[in-house]
Amino acid sequence: MLALFTQPIDAARMIAVPKIDWLAIGPPVVLFTAALAIVLLASLLRGRSLQHDLDDWVVLCAFAGPIEFWLGRFSAIRYNHDVFSIIVMLAGIGSVAFAMGVSIVRKHTFAASLVIALAGVISAVAITVAQWNVVRTSGSFTSMAGAVAVDGMAVFVMGVVLVATVFGLLLGTSWIRREQLEGPEFLALLLLCATGMLVMASANDLIVVFVALEVFSIALYVMTAFDRHRIESQEAGLKYFLLGAFSSAIFLYGVALTYGATGSTNLVTIRESLTGLVGGDNGLLMVGFALMLVGLGFKVAAAPFHMWTPDVYQGAPTPVTAFMAGATKVAAFGALLRIFVGSFDLLQTDWRPAVYGLAIVSMIVGSVAAIVQTDVKRMLAYSSIAHAGYVLIGVQVATESNGGLGGTSAALFYLGIYMLMAVGAFAVIQVVGRARETDSSLDDYKGLARKEPVLAGLLTLFLLAQAGVPLTAGFVAKLTVFKAAVDAGQFQIALIGMLSATVAAFVYLRIVLSMYSGDEHGSATPVEGNRLTVDLPVRITISLTAALVLLFGVVPGWLLDVAEHATSILAG
Amino acid sequence: MNALFAADPLFNGDGLWGSIFVVVLLKVVIAFVVLLVSVMLYIWGMRKWIADMQNRTGPANAGPFGILQTLADGIKLFFKEQSIPSSADKPIFRLAPYLSILPAFLMFCVIPVGGKINVLGHETYLQVVDLPIGAMFILGCSGIAVYGVMLAGWSSGSKYPLLGSVRASAQMLSYEAAFGLGILSVLMRAGTMSTREIVNQQSWTNTDGILQNLSNFYVVPAALGFVIFIIAAIAETNHPPFDFVEAEQELVGGFVTEYSGIRFAIFFLAEFMNIITMSAVAVTLFLGGPNGPMFMPARFGQSGWVNGTVVPILWFVGKVLLLTFGTVWLRASVPRLRYDQLMAFGWKWLIELAVLWVLVTAGILVLGDRGWNPAAAGVLSFGIAGAAYGLLYLCMPKSGETVEEFR
Amino acid sequence: MLGAQLLVAENAFFYVIAAVMAYGAIRVVTTNNIVHAALYLVVVLAGGAAQYLLLGQEFVAWVQVIVYIGAVIVLFLFGIMLTRAPMKAEEKLTNDLRGAALIPTGLLAAILATLCLDAFSDKTVDLVSPIRTKAVTSAIFRGYLVPFEVVGVLLLGALIGAVVLARRD
Repeated sequence: MLALFTQPIDAARMIAVPKIDWLAIGPPVVLFTAALAIVLLASLLRGRSLQHDLDDWVVLCAFAGPIEFWLGRFSAIRYNHDVFSIIVMLAGIGSVAFAMGVSIVRKHTFAASLVIALAGVISAVAITVAQWNVVRTSGSFTSMAGAVAVDGMAVFVMGVVLVATVFGLLLGTSWIRREQLEGPEFLALLLLCATGMLVMASANDLIVVFVALEVFSIALYVMTAFDRHRIESQEAGLKYFLLGAFSSAIFLYGVALTYGATGSTNLVTIRESLTGLVGGDNGLLMVGFALMLVGLGFKVAAAPFHMWTPDVYQGAPTPVTAFMAGATKVAAFGALLRIFVGSFDLLQTDWRPAVYGLAIVSMIVGSVAAIVQTDVKRMLAYSSIAHAGYVLIGVQVATESNGGLGGTSAALFYLGIYMLMAVGAFAVIQVVGRARETDSSLDDYKGLARKEPVLAGLLTLFLLAQAGVPLTAGFVAKLTVFKAAVDAGQFQIALIGMLSATVAAFVYLRIVLSMYSGDEHGSATPVEGNRLTVDLPVRITISLTAALVLLFGVVPGWLLDVAEHATSILAG
Repeated sequence: MNALFAADPLFNGDGLWGSIFVVVLLKVVIAFVVLLVSVMLYIWGMRKWIADMQNRTGPANAGPFGILQTLADGIKLFFKEQSIPSSADKPIFRLAPYLSILPAFLMFCVIPVGGKINVLGHETYLQVVDLPIGAMFILGCSGIAVYGVMLAGWSSGSKYPLLGSVRASAQMLSYEAAFGLGILSVLMRAGTMSTREIVNQQSWTNTDGILQNLSNFYVVPAALGFVIFIIAAIAETNHPPFDFVEAEQELVGGFVTEYSGIRFAIFFLAEFMNIITMSAVAVTLFLGGPNGPMFMPARFGQSGWVNGTVVPILWFVGKVLLLTFGTVWLRASVPRLRYDQLMAFGWKWLIELAVLWVLVTAGILVLGDRGWNPAAAGVLSFGIAGAAYGLLYLCMPKSGETVEEFR
Repeated sequence: MLGAQLLVAENAFFYVIAAVMAYGAIRVVTTNNIVHAALYLVVVLAGGAAQYLLLGQEFVAWVQVIVYIGAVIVLFLFGIMLTRAPMKAEEKLTNDLRGAALIPTGLLAAILATLCLDAFSDKTVDLVSPIRTKAVTSAIFRGYLVPFEVVGVLLLGALIGAVVLARRD
């Protein structure tokens, strides 16, 4: 019989099992496992069958005891009666306990999912810290056949994404409760999205970058359209999907052309093949990375590839907007830095002017277009375009020899700070938006300071930080970026940056002014005396982000230090 | 050349033209004619068998035992007037029958019917072409088989054909996955996709015992794969009990309602040709193809014309006959499913089972490569797969049960 | 001798197939009947598969047939037939921008043609030792294991997303 299952061992046919480096791919694997667990939990408990089957099993076990007893008494077969009885008893007790556990979890499925999700994120953070230590002590390395890079930048980007994920989970929880939507799927999608971003952060191969981009994009499309009660959400999801699919295709085309020009998709190999190459001579390569720049520019919402941003930021559920602003930008900028600064640094004369142009256009478009908006979410969407422009300043000086890697660390620092400011601001907007997110126009914010002084004060803090007012983290972030540009001798772009920051400050002050002016009844929808509900998850999010924004504004040294150590990009 | 297209001794030398071209052409023509004749005989046999099972005589007038009945039907259909509905999309209406017969024939091209023969001084396999990637070719052909049915229904410009073709396309797509996974469990064991290689691995050695030889056939180690493959293949070919394309009670004649004359005959032909081809595929992948006990090797030798050519063909034909008889038996005895049952079965049971079976196979093979005791590897793989299936079972709402929503 | 014969045959088939593909591609966008457009797309994809075969990439060729022709276009047709199943050509499929669309299309074609001719005109295909499926699979399961597995994550995300979006209230 055994012969049926054996095959003669044949070396040619033997299945080679690949080696897995669990440390390198740990964070995304953990998040993915958590997402799977949530999906499984939700589908297990959704139908009633589990309860029924468990009930049957419990009844069976209850009857099994006496039956077994009598069998043992009268049966002709002698067996170890005591051991068997104990097994049956334990099985009975165990299944009763399991059934009780299931019925408890059934009542709190969403809470259980949240616990799983948070546990997943925290374990991922732990692995990231371990990776950080390895990188600091023994340097960067690649693994999994060169597809995954573990270096300072990867770990930094992963850290920021994971923190944003925690905030996203908290805000999402509050929002789901308020809107009475089905929760577990949202949490699972958020985790899958974060999985894609983590993979992207450490992707050392253009194919991995593309697949990771698709993973988080698809999850984001769905999360954008998640709110089935609001038609705007559906519309935003569709717009994002169509434009996003188009931009992914452009990115993929760029990858294909780059592969054609260099013969590899591995970023390290690509860099090796570029030595001694004059970029302008190789048309395939030029068009290749131009298309990749367009694709990634779309994801980071840099002008002129920003058309989707206002509509999607406005239409998407606010926690999703917060996550999108905080995490997507970081992940996409991580890939941008890795590809252009890490691999194509030898061709910097070819791509730097383009990034320079993108930075200027983004800053100007983002700041100027925000002035004429009347919707707060839309305003912040435009401001996120401007912020992408500031980060791009850092990116384009990153290869400057006398600026050193200051550009990279400035960009990373800015991204980390922007995540905090954006998440905090959108958290307040989520609360003010009320159920169905109806209240997001500038008029709805009138009189907020009188009604909710703390909330208004915190939103003011986040907005001032985004404007770059001293003693907030936003100031330090802008300062590092401009300093990197000035160090590299680029006064013009720093000047344009400061001017656009001034214009943007006007936008933020409009919101602040609106909150502190007008009376309590200036707002159209809120019923008199109807206070805003700020539940615990949102409370945690807002206070944490506010504290960090203040902390890094006063003592930015630690995070700056980390960002400086995070500039090791493997290929570079 | 040899490397690019097919591993056939025919192409070992230089050159493509002249007698080699003639040999290839001959093989194609003979295969087509043989397939057509066997369809004719199958239809006759089916009617006779079903008649037997239902205590009737069946066709009895045309030729001895009515064996020419199919031919007579074909001639009648050939001379009938062909009508095209005025609302039809005419080019596609005309194209559809050929689209439906093409994959059935193409799939047969990679089936090894026997060993090697000598033709016109060239040694060649008894097989139209031995693609190095034959199994994927089979999958590809079954993938494009849906076009004939789908376009026939749509181009008729009529309600029932359209319904029939929509049903058919959903059904064929749904079972395609299980079909592929069923084949995959064989490919994993064989380590090759060439149909001839797969057949060669299921060899029959006269000196070994029958059980030992039978366990060489993949139907034994990949037993569940065989079951999955057969069910999926029956659904792919729209054979009863899965013949929803032409459910008479609901859809008049299904996708062929508007067809008449020779075009209808071609659809008819394609349907039964599909059954024969699928049986041949199953025989090749799971039942050892032309391999079987040799006929008195002591007297006739191992590779003479008896045991090298005739006996393998006989074994192949015999095995195909066995499977085709099985389909007739099904047609006679199993009533048609309900459409939602078909879909639920395909998506909720068959595909999961097929995936788990592939995982079990992988587990056994990989653990075996690492020197595990095969029994332990089997128990572990089956245990994990069983636990996964149990979880799936718990996740699926039972029939008639409402799904609760979490808020 | 065989190599020379093969090269001639390959070149001849390349141009024939390319011409058919080009015709199919143009008809995809010019036809007014949406089902016909899908069928012309089948012609283009099948031509692509044939070109892969000519380049000695049998696995890619059959994957193209199974995935694109056997699944993607069938799903297109399935979607069309489930929703409205138009029998007649629809005039509204043609809009006024078809002239303007020629400009970017022509530009893209020109750029790509120039680039590819520039980069690959001196390359030849080794027809005598084509890429075997074994090489493809070991590349997937060793060198490209990470993207391959991440595609699994992608599909799971898409699956959950589809369920979420399609579920009725």
